[in-house]
Amino acid sequence: MRAGNPARSAARWIALAAVVALLAALPWCGNAVLVQFGISALLLATLAQGWNIIGGYAGYPSFGNSVFYGLGAYGVAIAMAQYQLPFWVGMLLALGLGVAFAGLLGLAVLRLRGHYFAICTLGLALVMTAIVSNLPLAGGNIGLVLPLLGNAALFYELALGLLVLATLTVFWLARSRFGLGLIAIRENEEGAAVMGVNTTLYKVLAFMLSAAFTALAGGIYAYYITYIDPAGVFDLALNVKMIIMAVFGGPGSVLGPVLGAFILSVISEILATKVTSVASMFFGIVIVVAVVFMPRGISHLVAHVRQAGWRYFVDNVRAHRL
Amino acid sequence: MKRILFFLATVFLSAAAWAQPVTLGASVQLTGPVANTGRYYKDAYEFAVDRINAAGGVKVGAEQRKIALKILDNQSDVNLSVRQYVQLLGQDKVNFLLGPFASNFVLADSSVAEKNRVPMVQGGGASDQIYARGYRYIFGTLAAASDYFGSTIEAMTKLDPRPQTVALLYADDAFDVSVAQGTRELLKKAGLKTVLDERYSTNASDFAALLSRIRSTQADAVLVAGHETEVLNFVRQAKSLDVRPKLYSFTVGVPSADFRQALGKDANGASGMTAWLPSAQLKDRWFGDAERFAHAWKAKFGYEPDYHAASGVATVEALVNAIEAAGSTDPQQVRDALARVSFDSLYGRVAFNDKGQISLPQTMVQIQNDKVVPIYAAGAFINKLEYPLAPWGDH
Amino acid sequence: MALLAQIVVSGVLLGGLYALMALGLALVWGVLNIVNLSHGALIMLGAYATYFLFTGAHVDPFAALPLAAAALFAAGYLIQRGILNLVIRGPMFNTLLITFGIEVILTYLAQLWFSADYRAINPRYAGSSYTFGGVTVPLVQALGFAIAIGLTAAMWLFLLHSRTGRGIRAAAQNLVAARLYGVDPKRIYALTFGLGAALAGVAGGLYGTVSQINPYIGGPLTAKSFVIAIIGGLDNPFGVVVGGLFLGIVESLTALYVGPTYRDVASFGILVLVLVARPSGLLGRTA
Repeated sequence: MRAGNPARSAARWIALAAVVALLAALPWCGNAVLVQFGISALLLATLAQGWNIIGGYAGYPSFGNSVFYGLGAYGVAIAMAQYQLPFWVGMLLALGLGVAFAGLLGLAVLRLRGHYFAICTLGLALVMTAIVSNLPLAGGNIGLVLPLLGNAALFYELALGLLVLATLTVFWLARSRFGLGLIAIRENEEGAAVMGVNTTLYKVLAFMLSAAFTALAGGIYAYYITYIDPAGVFDLALNVKMIIMAVFGGPGSVLGPVLGAFILSVISEILATKVTSVASMFFGIVIVVAVVFMPRGISHLVAHVRQAGWRYFVDNVRAHRL
Repeated sequence: MKRILFFLATVFLSAAAWAQPVTLGASVQLTGPVANTGRYYKDAYEFAVDRINAAGGVKVGAEQRKIALKILDNQSDVNLSVRQYVQLLGQDKVNFLLGPFASNFVLADSSVAEKNRVPMVQGGGASDQIYARGYRYIFGTLAAASDYFGSTIEAMTKLDPRPQTVALLYADDAFDVSVAQGTRELLKKAGLKTVLDERYSTNASDFAALLSRIRSTQADAVLVAGHETEVLNFVRQAKSLDVRPKLYSFTVGVPSADFRQALGKDANGASGMTAWLPSAQLKDRWFGDAERFAHAWKAKFGYEPDYHAASGVATVEALVNAIEAAGSTDPQQVRDALARVSFDSLYGRVAFNDKGQISLPQTMVQIQNDKVVPIYAAGAFINKLEYPLAPWGDH
Repeated sequence: MALLAQIVVSGVLLGGLYALMALGLALVWGVLNIVNLSHGALIMLGAYATYFLFTGAHVDPFAALPLAAAALFAAGYLIQRGILNLVIRGPMFNTLLITFGIEVILTYLAQLWFSADYRAINPRYAGSSYTFGGVTVPLVQALGFAIAIGLTAAMWLFLLHSRTGRGIRAAAQNLVAARLYGVDPKRIYALTFGLGAALAGVAGGLYGTVSQINPYIGGPLTAKSFVIAIIGGLDNPFGVVVGGLFLGIVESLTALYVGPTYRDVASFGILVLVLVARPSGLLGRTA
């Protein structure tokens, strides 16, 4: 969306609004399976978008986002199953837990760079699984059973709303001083500091923003699935999935992660139901192929493959091979 | 002429309806960490459906209908299994649901059955938590977790010399915590002293610390509620640390073939329990009896069936019986019929209590000379228990 | 007292195995700057290789270890040459991701080829043990410990004194300079990754003699290896040994005094704390 072409920009906005309206109308087409798939895909897209803020814009490859997801899920589950509070109170608790945790831990772990940051957040995810499975309030390792609500359309609309909110936030981010500061940090952290960016503040804020959407997605998931346990919601594989979706779509772009999440969800769903035997290997192959041939994601591919053709892939390999 | 056409059309339509099978759907672990036990359920469902179809299928009211089966692989992922059950109902339009393996899967998946008011009969989850939620559409063929050690503890009180002290170890998941809660009460009632009562992490691989404590407390009997992988590690490390209580018993593994295969001679002496043994006494409408079932299973799949297999077959049979009793495939009517169902099968007597759970006595078993030998059931010893166990060095 | 002594001895023996598991990970991380998330899967493959040599060809498990190491070396060499070398100059995050993808694929293939059955490498002497003053030392674990220490020393000597070892160290410090001295980076990188995989293979074979094997043991073993590499630092193989022993003892004592369900809280808690407080490792030089 270049500023120089208002007509084209308006057309794009209208097209996007139409897509959202179509998606919002989906529960009324009467296909329960599609709605169910939609809930899962929309939540994953939200997670990918949440990861995009800290991983794509700020350049900090977090493996700890599943912690926020788990905290969100447990926020709702503890409120509803242990204290019989309504869902929205649970969502507030989820949001509070996720954001507070991100703020406190961000101060400590965002000082680390590169691999060390990745491994440290990965360790956090593991340690949280172990701690929660020892907490009686959270039902220990057995988990918690939530009350049953048979309204799939509600969960669908909630997930869609959250995704739209997350995407609009990222859209704003990409144009704001804050977002430019994050990009500066990603490209050259020392340089950003010299330019007057308060890097610690920016990074922690990005972490908290990322946590907010992730925790809310976890909260919706908990109520929707009605049963959670530590291994299920503090799941590292889920964290890897959100990263793959963001990276596949294009990290550091507004719509890339959403696109990546939708494409990969569709393929993996088809595989899981039609050719069940190879479905579990699917993500492995996607990762390897995507990292080798299109490390900058679909959005970059779409923008450049028309000029370069097949050379696009060859050039990618050439640029990064030994 | 018109009448003839009408007649033909009716014949055609009823023939089409006759050909329409009753479809059962399940999402089972065919890959992933629990695929090892998940396969029992896939094989059980397919075997049962084949046999029932070979005998003509299921009689719904006046018409005889075949059974179709739709099985999906949930990759040992709870998330995916919930979605697959929704898909089975919404897209594949299956009539009834069969369960996955393991309590945590059943806990999540049964909510789909409950929401859609379609009965799910499952043979893979035994945690008391499944039935504590007041759900009406979930029925289970595994015996209650809290009673798993019932027969073992009863047998212990009749041993000479009687074991005095007991160590209870259990994994921290839904099923094993239920087992531990029930076992504690049973131990108290039997007047046995518990010297060690310890929870450990699911999938623990190092038992040196726990084994050392067992040795230092000198417990006579050790009861372990866990998963097969943990039990395998426990037995191997017990040998290498030379810890040999007078009796040890495990909730899983002992009856299954790959446990004995992995441990070889070291499996001897391990006790456990099973709600099912392939006995010729257990008559079955489709398989003849449990012994013939076990032979047929071994011939077809190349490994021996254990109670998971029999439990899986029993779920299919329970549904078929309920459909025939209801004379309809209406989910509501079949649910009510399930609540009343009561029949003899290769698995034992299948009848559900008002929570949907079956009640089956456990038989204490022990591995002796590489074979699973029934030891104690229904208040009496069947075979002699190797007790106290010989030290490791004597093997 | 005998209980405490037994716990510490068990912890030390476990720690030796841990150290061997982490050694390959630390080597690859230190030299190639690749955090290999498929390390645990390579350990798993090593365990299966030893298992099949033992049950299929009746090779004694300890004699099978070099063969398993050779097989894994070949696999590692090919993975680096065929896949990882293609992306190694990209963002470091991409190499992290791609090793995760490799882990998923290897695990899937293992399940396809070997099934999800539980297996154990169970030679006749597997349960033998010696008791000294109330403390039992399992034979197999003691042997494993000796092999772990021996391999660490051998690797240290190799890196310090052999021509290839010096090439590896040169590549770790400055690839451009190393190239000027006639080191072929493609080959040296593949060699290093192959060595890391071979060490994982030996660790896997030893793991199979104390624990059961299935295709899914890799993930937790990778995580444990991280903890050790982080504690021990990446500079020196002996740091990894100390890290392994430290973790083994801490885990055993936690299981004894706090409770067996707190083991993971302790080990991964240490990982996070060490990283936050001293990112170069408790024993490593400060960056």
